[in-house]
Amino acid sequence: MSIDWSAFVTVALVSLFSAAALVTVYSLGLRLLTVDDRSAVRTVAGWACFVLCGLGVLYGIYLIVPALHR
Amino acid sequence: MDLTLIVVLVIVLALFFDFTNGFHDTANAMATPIATGAMKPKVAVTVAAVLNLVGAFLSTEVAKTVSGGIIREGDGGVQISPEMIFAGLIGAVVWNMFTWLRGLPSSSSHALFGGLIGAAVVGAGLSSVDFSVVLSKVVLPALLAPLIAGLVGYTATRLAYRITRRRDDKSERGGFRYGQIFTSSLVALAHGTNDAQKTMGVITLTLIASGALGAGSGPPLWVVVVCALAIALGTYTGGWRIIQTMGGGLTEVKPTQGFSAEASTTATVLASSHLGFALSTTQVASGSIIGAGLGRRGAKIQWSTAGKIVAAWFITLPASAAVGAVAAFIASAGIVGLVVDAVVGVAVIAGIFLLSRRRPHDQSAAMEVDVAATSVLSRRRARRAEKRGRIDTPAGGVEAPFVRLDDPPVATTTADRGDRADRTDRTDRTDRTDDGTTR
Repeated sequence: MSIDWSAFVTVALVSLFSAAALVTVYSLGLRLLTVDDRSAVRTVAGWACFVLCGLGVLYGIYLIVPALHR
Repeated sequence: MDLTLIVVLVIVLALFFDFTNGFHDTANAMATPIATGAMKPKVAVTVAAVLNLVGAFLSTEVAKTVSGGIIREGDGGVQISPEMIFAGLIGAVVWNMFTWLRGLPSSSSHALFGGLIGAAVVGAGLSSVDFSVVLSKVVLPALLAPLIAGLVGYTATRLAYRITRRRDDKSERGGFRYGQIFTSSLVALAHGTNDAQKTMGVITLTLIASGALGAGSGPPLWVVVVCALAIALGTYTGGWRIIQTMGGGLTEVKPTQGFSAEASTTATVLASSHLGFALSTTQVASGSIIGAGLGRRGAKIQWSTAGKIVAAWFITLPASAAVGAVAAFIASAGIVGLVVDAVVGVAVIAGIFLLSRRRPHDQSAAMEVDVAATSVLSRRRARRAEKRGRIDTPAGGVEAPFVRLDDPPVATTTADRGDRADRTDRTDRTDRTDDGTTR
Protein backbone atom coordinates (compact mmCIF):
# COMPACT_ATOMS: atom_id res chain seq x y z
CA MET A 1 0.00 0.00 0.00
CA SER A 2 1.45 3.32 -1.00
CA ILE A 3 -0.19 6.46 0.18
CA ASP A 4 1.40 9.60 -1.11
CA TRP A 5 1.23 11.48 2.17
CA SER A 6 3.20 14.44 0.91
CA ALA A 7 0.71 14.89 -1.93
CA PHE A 8 -2.09 14.60 0.61
CA VAL A 9 -0.62 17.31 2.84
CA THR A 10 0.00 19.54 -0.19
CA VAL A 11 -3.60 19.13 -1.34
CA ALA A 12 -4.91 19.86 2.15
CA LEU A 13 -2.82 23.00 2.59
CA VAL A 14 -3.41 24.35 -0.92
CA SER A 15 -7.17 23.86 -0.66
CA LEU A 16 -7.23 25.41 2.80
CA PHE A 17 -5.33 28.51 1.76
CA SER A 18 -6.98 29.04 -1.60
CA ALA A 19 -10.50 28.65 -0.20
CA ALA A 20 -9.65 30.90 2.73
CA ALA A 21 -8.18 33.51 0.40
CA LEU A 22 -11.19 33.50 -1.91
CA VAL A 23 -13.68 33.75 0.94
CA THR A 24 -11.66 36.48 2.67
CA VAL A 25 -11.41 38.64 -0.42
CA TYR A 26 -15.09 38.21 -1.32
CA SER A 27 -16.19 38.95 2.24
CA LEU A 28 -13.98 42.03 2.33
CA GLY A 29 -15.56 43.18 -0.90
CA LEU A 30 -19.02 42.79 0.58
CA ARG A 31 -18.00 44.53 3.77
CA LEU A 32 -16.45 47.45 1.92
CA LEU A 33 -19.37 48.00 -0.40
CA THR A 34 -22.33 47.61 1.93
CA VAL A 35 -22.40 50.95 3.67
CA ASP A 36 -24.78 53.76 2.96
CA ASP A 37 -22.41 56.61 2.22
CA ARG A 38 -19.21 55.07 1.08
CA SER A 39 -16.18 57.00 -0.01
CA ALA A 40 -14.64 56.66 -3.44
CA VAL A 41 -11.71 54.77 -1.95
CA ARG A 42 -14.07 52.26 -0.37
CA THR A 43 -15.92 51.76 -3.62
CA VAL A 44 -12.74 51.21 -5.58
CA ALA A 45 -11.31 48.87 -2.97
CA GLY A 46 -14.56 46.92 -2.78
CA TRP A 47 -14.76 46.41 -6.50
CA ALA A 48 -11.07 45.55 -6.58
CA CYS A 49 -11.88 42.69 -4.23
CA PHE A 50 -14.53 41.39 -6.59
CA VAL A 51 -12.19 41.74 -9.56
CA LEU A 52 -9.67 39.67 -7.60
CA CYS A 53 -12.35 37.03 -7.02
CA GLY A 54 -13.15 37.11 -10.72
CA LEU A 55 -9.50 36.42 -11.47
CA GLY A 56 -9.66 33.52 -9.04
CA VAL A 57 -12.64 32.10 -10.92
CA LEU A 58 -10.79 32.54 -14.22
CA TYR A 59 -7.83 30.68 -12.75
CA GLY A 60 -10.24 27.91 -11.75
CA ILE A 61 -11.50 27.69 -15.33
CA TYR A 62 -7.90 27.63 -16.51
CA LEU A 63 -7.24 24.66 -14.26
CA ILE A 64 -10.40 22.84 -15.30
CA VAL A 65 -9.95 23.15 -19.07
CA PRO A 66 -7.06 20.90 -20.10
CA ALA A 67 -6.53 22.67 -23.40
CA LEU A 68 -5.48 25.80 -21.53
CA HIS A 69 -2.74 24.39 -19.38
CA ARG A 70 -1.24 21.67 -21.51
CA MET B 1 -23.25 -11.49 -33.59
CA ASP B 2 -22.28 -12.34 -30.07
CA LEU B 3 -19.81 -9.52 -29.95
CA THR B 4 -22.10 -6.91 -31.44
CA LEU B 5 -24.91 -7.68 -28.98
CA ILE B 6 -22.59 -7.28 -26.02
CA VAL B 7 -21.10 -4.11 -27.47
CA VAL B 8 -24.54 -2.59 -27.94
CA LEU B 9 -25.55 -3.63 -24.42
CA VAL B 10 -22.41 -2.11 -22.92
CA ILE B 11 -22.89 1.14 -24.80
CA VAL B 12 -26.54 1.48 -23.74
CA LEU B 13 -25.76 0.61 -20.14
CA ALA B 14 -22.71 2.88 -20.06
CA LEU B 15 -24.85 5.77 -21.27
CA PHE B 16 -27.42 5.01 -18.61
CA PHE B 17 -24.63 4.97 -16.04
CA ASP B 18 -23.55 8.35 -17.38
CA PHE B 19 -27.10 9.57 -16.90
CA THR B 20 -27.29 8.33 -13.28
CA ASN B 21 -23.87 9.85 -12.71
CA GLY B 22 -25.27 13.19 -13.87
CA PHE B 23 -28.31 13.25 -11.64
CA HIS B 24 -26.42 11.78 -8.72
CA ASP B 25 -23.90 14.58 -8.81
CA THR B 26 -26.09 17.58 -9.55
CA ALA B 27 -26.24 18.01 -5.80
CA ASN B 28 -22.49 18.46 -5.43
CA ALA B 29 -22.63 21.69 -7.32
CA MET B 30 -26.18 22.88 -6.96
CA ALA B 31 -27.55 21.76 -3.58
CA THR B 32 -26.36 24.80 -1.66
CA PRO B 33 -27.28 27.49 -4.20
CA ILE B 34 -30.76 25.98 -4.43
CA ALA B 35 -31.02 25.78 -0.64
CA THR B 36 -30.07 29.42 -0.15
CA GLY B 37 -32.16 30.69 -3.02
CA ALA B 38 -29.10 31.89 -4.96
CA MET B 39 -30.60 30.20 -7.98
CA LYS B 40 -34.06 28.86 -8.57
CA PRO B 41 -34.04 25.05 -8.71
CA LYS B 42 -34.81 24.88 -12.43
CA VAL B 43 -32.27 27.54 -13.26
CA ALA B 44 -29.64 25.80 -11.16
CA VAL B 45 -30.05 22.41 -12.79
CA THR B 46 -30.12 24.02 -16.23
CA VAL B 47 -26.87 25.86 -15.56
CA ALA B 48 -25.32 22.66 -14.21
CA ALA B 49 -26.51 20.68 -17.22
CA VAL B 50 -25.11 23.19 -19.72
CA LEU B 51 -21.78 23.31 -17.88
CA ASN B 52 -21.62 19.52 -17.80
CA LEU B 53 -22.32 19.43 -21.53
CA VAL B 54 -19.62 21.99 -22.23
CA GLY B 55 -17.22 20.30 -19.82
CA ALA B 56 -17.66 16.94 -21.52
CA PHE B 57 -16.40 18.43 -24.79
CA LEU B 58 -13.50 20.23 -23.17
CA SER B 59 -11.65 17.15 -22.14
CA THR B 60 -11.72 13.97 -24.14
CA GLU B 61 -8.52 12.42 -23.02
CA VAL B 62 -9.57 8.89 -22.28
CA ALA B 63 -8.04 6.95 -19.43
CA LYS B 64 -5.76 4.09 -20.40
CA THR B 65 -7.46 1.67 -18.07
CA VAL B 66 -11.10 1.28 -17.13
CA SER B 67 -10.44 0.65 -13.47
CA GLY B 68 -7.54 2.99 -12.83
CA GLY B 69 -5.25 0.23 -11.65
CA ILE B 70 -7.62 -1.43 -9.22
CA ILE B 71 -7.86 -4.44 -11.48
CA ARG B 72 -4.61 -5.87 -12.80
CA GLU B 73 -5.52 -5.41 -16.41
CA GLY B 74 -3.41 -5.45 -19.52
CA ASP B 75 -0.11 -7.24 -20.05
CA GLY B 76 0.47 -10.03 -17.57
CA GLY B 77 -2.84 -9.43 -15.88
CA VAL B 78 -6.41 -10.24 -16.76
CA GLN B 79 -8.07 -9.13 -19.92
CA ILE B 80 -11.18 -7.16 -19.06
CA SER B 81 -13.83 -8.57 -21.35
CA PRO B 82 -16.90 -6.62 -22.50
CA GLU B 83 -18.96 -9.08 -20.39
CA MET B 84 -17.08 -7.99 -17.28
CA ILE B 85 -17.59 -4.32 -18.12
CA PHE B 86 -21.27 -5.04 -18.68
CA ALA B 87 -21.65 -6.81 -15.33
CA GLY B 88 -19.67 -4.10 -13.59
CA LEU B 89 -21.90 -1.41 -15.08
CA ILE B 90 -24.99 -3.26 -13.87
CA GLY B 91 -23.56 -3.23 -10.36
CA ALA B 92 -22.73 0.46 -10.59
CA VAL B 93 -26.10 1.49 -12.03
CA VAL B 94 -28.13 -0.53 -9.53
CA TRP B 95 -26.18 0.89 -6.60
CA ASN B 96 -26.48 4.43 -7.98
CA MET B 97 -30.24 4.01 -8.31
CA PHE B 98 -30.51 2.59 -4.80
CA THR B 99 -28.53 5.38 -3.15
CA TRP B 100 -30.56 7.91 -5.11
CA LEU B 101 -33.75 6.32 -3.81
CA ARG B 102 -32.44 6.77 -0.28
CA GLY B 103 -31.24 10.30 -1.08
CA LEU B 104 -27.64 9.45 -0.25
CA PRO B 105 -24.81 11.20 -2.05
CA SER B 106 -22.32 8.48 -2.95
CA SER B 107 -19.47 8.40 -5.39
CA SER B 108 -20.39 7.17 -8.87
CA SER B 109 -16.80 6.29 -9.67
CA HIS B 110 -16.56 4.12 -6.58
CA ALA B 111 -19.74 2.36 -7.66
CA LEU B 112 -18.18 1.72 -11.07
CA PHE B 113 -14.96 0.43 -9.49
CA GLY B 114 -16.99 -1.80 -7.17
CA GLY B 115 -19.01 -3.28 -9.99
CA LEU B 116 -15.87 -3.98 -12.00
CA ILE B 117 -14.17 -5.56 -8.99
CA GLY B 118 -17.11 -7.90 -8.44
CA ALA B 119 -17.20 -8.84 -12.10
CA ALA B 120 -13.43 -9.37 -12.22
CA VAL B 121 -13.41 -11.56 -9.12
CA VAL B 122 -16.06 -13.82 -10.62
CA GLY B 123 -14.59 -13.70 -14.11
CA ALA B 124 -10.90 -13.97 -13.30
CA GLY B 125 -10.48 -14.79 -9.63
CA LEU B 126 -9.50 -12.87 -6.52
CA SER B 127 -5.95 -12.35 -7.68
CA SER B 128 -7.14 -10.08 -10.47
CA VAL B 129 -7.93 -7.33 -7.97
CA ASP B 130 -5.14 -5.26 -6.50
CA PHE B 131 -6.50 -4.72 -3.01
CA SER B 132 -3.69 -2.43 -1.93
CA VAL B 133 -4.78 -0.04 -4.67
CA VAL B 134 -8.36 -0.38 -3.46
CA LEU B 135 -7.18 0.68 -0.02
CA SER B 136 -5.07 3.60 -1.21
CA LYS B 137 -7.42 4.84 -3.92
CA VAL B 138 -10.86 4.24 -2.45
CA VAL B 139 -10.95 3.47 1.27
CA LEU B 140 -8.43 5.96 2.64
CA PRO B 141 -9.51 8.86 0.42
CA ALA B 142 -13.06 8.23 1.61
CA LEU B 143 -11.84 8.84 5.16
CA LEU B 144 -9.61 11.78 4.25
CA ALA B 145 -11.83 13.68 1.79
CA PRO B 146 -14.51 14.71 4.28
CA LEU B 147 -11.83 15.55 6.85
CA ILE B 148 -9.95 17.91 4.54
CA ALA B 149 -13.09 19.39 3.07
CA GLY B 150 -14.68 19.72 6.49
CA LEU B 151 -11.65 21.59 7.83
CA VAL B 152 -11.52 23.84 4.76
CA GLY B 153 -15.27 24.50 4.85
CA TYR B 154 -15.16 25.26 8.57
CA THR B 155 -12.27 27.67 8.24
CA ALA B 156 -13.83 29.42 5.25
CA THR B 157 -17.19 29.79 7.01
CA ARG B 158 -15.63 31.16 10.19
CA LEU B 159 -13.62 33.65 8.15
CA ALA B 160 -16.64 34.77 6.17
CA TYR B 161 -18.77 35.34 9.27
CA ARG B 162 -15.89 36.99 11.07
CA ILE B 163 -15.15 39.46 8.29
CA THR B 164 -18.77 40.40 7.69
CA ARG B 165 -19.70 40.76 11.34
CA ARG B 166 -20.96 44.21 12.18
CA ARG B 167 -22.79 45.96 14.90
CA ASP B 168 -25.22 48.10 12.96
CA ASP B 169 -28.45 46.85 11.58
CA LYS B 170 -27.35 46.26 8.04
CA SER B 171 -26.72 42.89 6.59
CA GLU B 172 -24.43 42.26 3.68
CA ARG B 173 -24.45 38.52 3.79
CA GLY B 174 -27.14 38.20 1.14
CA GLY B 175 -24.37 39.21 -1.25
CA PHE B 176 -22.79 35.83 -0.77
CA ARG B 177 -25.52 34.42 -2.96
CA TYR B 178 -23.99 35.99 -6.06
CA GLY B 179 -20.64 34.47 -5.23
CA GLN B 180 -22.25 31.07 -4.85
CA ILE B 181 -23.38 31.15 -8.45
CA PHE B 182 -19.75 31.30 -9.61
CA THR B 183 -18.27 28.76 -7.25
CA SER B 184 -20.98 26.19 -7.84
CA SER B 185 -20.70 26.69 -11.60
CA LEU B 186 -17.01 25.85 -11.34
CA VAL B 187 -17.88 22.63 -9.53
CA ALA B 188 -20.38 21.74 -12.27
CA LEU B 189 -17.84 22.44 -15.01
CA ALA B 190 -15.18 20.36 -13.29
CA HIS B 191 -17.67 17.54 -12.95
CA GLY B 192 -18.42 17.59 -16.67
CA THR B 193 -14.76 17.42 -17.64
CA ASN B 194 -14.07 14.55 -15.25
CA ASP B 195 -17.07 12.30 -15.19
CA ALA B 196 -18.28 12.21 -18.78
CA GLN B 197 -14.78 11.07 -19.62
CA LYS B 198 -15.17 7.91 -17.59
CA THR B 199 -18.09 6.76 -19.70
CA MET B 200 -16.29 7.75 -22.87
CA GLY B 201 -13.38 5.63 -21.68
CA VAL B 202 -15.58 2.62 -20.96
CA ILE B 203 -17.26 2.79 -24.37
CA THR B 204 -14.02 3.43 -26.25
CA LEU B 205 -12.23 0.54 -24.54
CA THR B 206 -15.16 -1.74 -25.33
CA LEU B 207 -15.06 -0.68 -28.98
CA ILE B 208 -11.32 -1.33 -29.05
CA ALA B 209 -11.77 -4.74 -27.43
CA SER B 210 -14.36 -5.66 -30.04
CA GLY B 211 -12.12 -4.59 -32.86
CA ALA B 212 -14.34 -1.76 -34.02
CA LEU B 213 -11.57 0.72 -33.23
CA GLY B 214 -7.83 0.43 -33.54
CA ALA B 215 -5.83 0.00 -30.37
CA GLY B 216 -4.91 3.26 -28.71
CA SER B 217 -7.40 5.39 -30.59
CA GLY B 218 -9.37 8.15 -28.93
CA PRO B 219 -13.13 8.27 -28.63
CA PRO B 220 -14.99 8.84 -31.91
CA LEU B 221 -17.02 12.03 -32.08
CA TRP B 222 -20.36 10.27 -31.69
CA VAL B 223 -19.19 8.74 -28.40
CA VAL B 224 -18.22 12.17 -27.08
CA VAL B 225 -21.55 13.64 -28.18
CA VAL B 226 -23.79 10.95 -26.70
CA CYS B 227 -21.81 10.85 -23.44
CA ALA B 228 -22.00 14.61 -23.11
CA LEU B 229 -25.74 14.54 -23.81
CA ALA B 230 -26.36 11.69 -21.37
CA ILE B 231 -24.57 13.37 -18.47
CA ALA B 232 -26.18 16.73 -19.22
CA LEU B 233 -29.63 15.18 -19.41
CA GLY B 234 -29.02 13.36 -16.12
CA THR B 235 -27.87 16.59 -14.50
CA TYR B 236 -30.90 18.44 -15.80
CA THR B 237 -33.23 15.76 -14.46
CA GLY B 238 -31.71 16.57 -11.08
CA GLY B 239 -31.48 14.06 -8.27
CA TRP B 240 -33.85 16.03 -6.07
CA ARG B 241 -33.59 13.54 -3.26
CA ILE B 242 -29.84 13.99 -3.03
CA ILE B 243 -30.13 17.74 -3.51
CA GLN B 244 -32.46 17.81 -0.52
CA THR B 245 -30.12 15.77 1.62
CA MET B 246 -27.16 17.99 0.86
CA GLY B 247 -29.07 21.27 0.76
CA GLY B 248 -31.04 20.83 3.95
CA GLY B 249 -30.80 17.33 5.31
CA LEU B 250 -27.30 17.72 6.70
CA THR B 251 -27.63 21.20 8.06
CA GLU B 252 -29.57 24.35 7.34
CA VAL B 253 -27.46 26.22 4.80
CA LYS B 254 -27.36 30.01 4.73
CA PRO B 255 -25.80 32.05 1.90
CA THR B 256 -22.61 32.73 3.82
CA GLN B 257 -22.19 29.04 4.52
CA GLY B 258 -23.24 28.07 1.02
CA PHE B 259 -20.61 30.33 -0.49
CA SER B 260 -17.94 29.09 1.88
CA ALA B 261 -18.89 25.45 1.31
CA GLU B 262 -18.82 25.80 -2.48
CA ALA B 263 -15.56 27.74 -2.32
CA SER B 264 -13.97 24.97 -0.29
CA THR B 265 -15.42 22.26 -2.55
CA THR B 266 -14.03 24.04 -5.60
CA ALA B 267 -10.64 24.60 -4.02
CA THR B 268 -10.33 21.05 -2.72
CA VAL B 269 -11.50 19.39 -5.93
CA LEU B 270 -9.19 21.48 -8.10
CA ALA B 271 -6.24 21.00 -5.76
CA SER B 272 -6.81 17.27 -5.56
CA SER B 273 -7.08 16.81 -9.30
CA HIS B 274 -3.96 18.86 -10.03
CA LEU B 275 -1.68 17.91 -7.19
CA GLY B 276 -1.97 14.18 -7.48
CA PHE B 277 -4.16 13.04 -4.63
CA ALA B 278 -7.50 12.04 -6.10
CA LEU B 279 -10.53 12.72 -3.92
CA SER B 280 -14.17 12.02 -4.69
CA THR B 281 -16.10 15.20 -5.49
CA THR B 282 -19.17 13.84 -3.74
CA GLN B 283 -17.27 13.20 -0.54
CA VAL B 284 -15.54 16.58 -0.71
CA ALA B 285 -18.86 18.37 -1.24
CA SER B 286 -20.52 16.58 1.70
CA GLY B 287 -17.52 17.32 3.92
CA SER B 288 -17.56 21.00 2.98
CA ILE B 289 -21.23 21.31 3.83
CA ILE B 290 -20.70 19.71 7.23
CA GLY B 291 -17.71 21.98 7.82
CA ALA B 292 -19.81 25.00 6.89
CA GLY B 293 -22.49 23.78 9.29
CA LEU B 294 -19.95 23.54 12.10
CA GLY B 295 -18.69 27.02 11.27
CA ARG B 296 -21.92 28.90 12.00
CA ARG B 297 -22.85 29.37 15.60
CA GLY B 298 -26.23 27.88 16.39
CA ALA B 299 -26.30 25.66 13.32
CA LYS B 300 -27.34 22.12 13.91
CA ILE B 301 -25.92 19.22 12.02
CA GLN B 302 -27.97 16.12 11.53
CA TRP B 303 -25.29 13.67 12.51
CA SER B 304 -27.60 10.74 11.90
CA THR B 305 -27.90 11.77 8.25
CA ALA B 306 -24.15 12.35 8.07
CA GLY B 307 -23.61 8.90 9.54
CA LYS B 308 -25.90 7.31 6.97
CA ILE B 309 -24.00 9.05 4.18
CA VAL B 310 -20.62 7.89 5.46
CA ALA B 311 -21.97 4.37 5.88
CA ALA B 312 -23.16 4.48 2.27
CA TRP B 313 -19.66 5.48 1.14
CA PHE B 314 -18.17 2.42 2.74
CA ILE B 315 -20.89 0.10 1.52
CA THR B 316 -20.70 1.47 -2.04
CA LEU B 317 -17.74 -0.63 -3.10
CA PRO B 318 -18.78 -4.02 -1.63
CA ALA B 319 -22.44 -3.53 -2.53
CA SER B 320 -21.88 -2.73 -6.18
CA ALA B 321 -19.21 -5.43 -6.23
CA ALA B 322 -21.79 -7.95 -5.03
CA VAL B 323 -24.26 -6.91 -7.72
CA GLY B 324 -21.48 -6.93 -10.32
CA ALA B 325 -20.41 -10.40 -9.21
CA VAL B 326 -23.92 -11.81 -9.50
CA ALA B 327 -24.32 -10.19 -12.91
CA ALA B 328 -20.97 -11.57 -14.05
CA PHE B 329 -21.92 -15.03 -12.82
CA ILE B 330 -25.17 -14.95 -14.83
CA ALA B 331 -23.38 -13.48 -17.84
CA SER B 332 -20.94 -16.39 -17.83
CA ALA B 333 -23.82 -18.53 -19.13
CA GLY B 334 -23.30 -16.98 -22.53
CA ILE B 335 -25.74 -15.01 -24.60
CA VAL B 336 -28.76 -16.23 -22.61
CA GLY B 337 -27.06 -15.01 -19.46
CA LEU B 338 -26.50 -11.59 -20.97
CA VAL B 339 -30.14 -11.29 -21.95
CA VAL B 340 -31.22 -12.43 -18.45
CA ASP B 341 -28.84 -9.84 -16.97
CA ALA B 342 -30.23 -7.10 -19.14
CA VAL B 343 -33.85 -8.01 -18.39
CA VAL B 344 -33.28 -8.31 -14.64
CA GLY B 345 -31.27 -5.10 -14.66
CA VAL B 346 -34.02 -3.18 -16.42
CA ALA B 347 -36.60 -4.69 -14.04
CA VAL B 348 -34.63 -3.61 -10.96
CA ILE B 349 -34.11 -0.09 -12.32
CA ALA B 350 -37.79 0.19 -13.23
CA GLY B 351 -38.74 -1.18 -9.79
CA ILE B 352 -36.61 1.42 -8.00
CA PHE B 353 -38.09 4.10 -10.19
CA LEU B 354 -41.63 2.96 -9.36
CA LEU B 355 -40.76 2.84 -5.65
CA SER B 356 -39.57 6.40 -5.92
CA ARG B 357 -42.90 7.41 -7.46
CA ARG B 358 -44.76 6.15 -4.43
CA ARG B 359 -43.12 8.85 -2.37
CA PRO B 360 -42.20 11.37 -4.99
CA HIS B 361 -39.38 13.74 -4.21
CA ASP B 362 -39.68 15.85 -7.28
CA GLN B 363 -39.44 18.84 -5.08
CA SER B 364 -38.64 21.27 -7.83
CA ALA B 365 -42.23 22.41 -7.82
CA ALA B 366 -42.53 22.42 -4.04
CA MET B 367 -39.29 24.30 -3.66
CA GLU B 368 -40.31 26.91 -6.17
CA VAL B 369 -43.52 27.37 -4.22
CA ASP B 370 -41.42 27.71 -1.07
CA VAL B 371 -39.32 30.45 -2.54
CA ALA B 372 -42.31 32.14 -4.13
CA ALA B 373 -44.26 32.05 -0.87
CA THR B 374 -41.44 33.55 1.14
CA SER B 375 -40.80 36.29 -1.35
CA VAL B 376 -44.45 37.23 -1.56
CA LEU B 377 -45.04 37.24 2.18
CA SER B 378 -43.29 39.76 4.32
CA ARG B 379 -40.99 38.40 6.94
CA ARG B 380 -43.47 38.90 9.74
CA ARG B 381 -46.42 37.53 7.82
CA ALA B 382 -44.39 34.50 6.85
CA ARG B 383 -43.53 33.90 10.47
CA ARG B 384 -47.14 34.30 11.54
CA ALA B 385 -48.29 31.93 8.85
CA GLU B 386 -45.69 29.47 9.95
CA LYS B 387 -46.82 29.66 13.56
CA ARG B 388 -50.30 28.89 12.44
CA GLY B 389 -48.81 25.96 10.59
CA ARG B 390 -50.22 27.15 7.32
CA ILE B 391 -47.05 26.93 5.30
CA ASP B 392 -44.14 24.79 6.08
CA THR B 393 -41.67 27.55 5.67
CA PRO B 394 -39.58 29.28 8.27
CA ALA B 395 -39.67 32.98 8.64
CA GLY B 396 -36.29 33.71 7.25
CA GLY B 397 -37.28 34.98 3.85
CA VAL B 398 -35.32 33.45 1.03
CA GLU B 399 -32.98 31.78 3.47
CA ALA B 400 -35.65 29.12 3.75
CA PRO B 401 -34.02 25.82 4.57
CA PHE B 402 -35.14 22.72 2.83
CA VAL B 403 -37.86 20.71 4.36
CA ARG B 404 -37.20 17.05 3.99
CA LEU B 405 -40.64 15.66 3.52
CA ASP B 406 -39.66 12.18 4.53
CA ASP B 407 -38.18 13.21 7.84
CA PRO B 408 -40.67 12.73 10.66
CA PRO B 409 -38.98 15.31 12.95
CA VAL B 410 -40.22 18.08 10.65
CA ALA B 411 -43.55 18.10 12.41
CA THR B 412 -41.93 18.78 15.76
CA THR B 413 -39.45 21.36 14.59
CA THR B 414 -41.89 24.05 13.55
CA ALA B 415 -41.73 25.76 16.92
CA ASP B 416 -38.08 24.99 17.28
CA ARG B 417 -37.32 26.45 13.93
CA GLY B 418 -39.17 29.64 14.61
CA ASP B 419 -37.23 30.01 17.79
CA ARG B 420 -34.03 29.36 15.97
CA ALA B 421 -34.87 32.00 13.43
CA ASP B 422 -35.43 34.50 16.23
CA ARG B 423 -32.13 33.63 17.76
CA THR B 424 -30.39 34.06 14.46
CA ASP B 425 -32.00 37.47 14.18
CA ARG B 426 -30.49 38.63 17.38
CA THR B 427 -27.06 37.13 17.23
CA ASP B 428 -25.84 37.53 13.73
CA ARG B 429 -28.31 39.36 11.55
CA THR B 430 -27.60 37.13 8.73
CA ASP B 431 -28.49 36.73 5.13
CA ARG B 432 -31.65 38.70 4.94
CA THR B 433 -33.46 39.47 1.76
CA ASP B 434 -33.04 43.15 2.45
CA ASP B 435 -29.39 43.18 1.66
CA GLY B 436 -29.54 46.82 0.80
CA THR B 437 -26.88 48.21 -1.42
CA THR B 438 -25.48 44.92 -2.55
CA ARG B 439 -28.53 44.49 -4.70
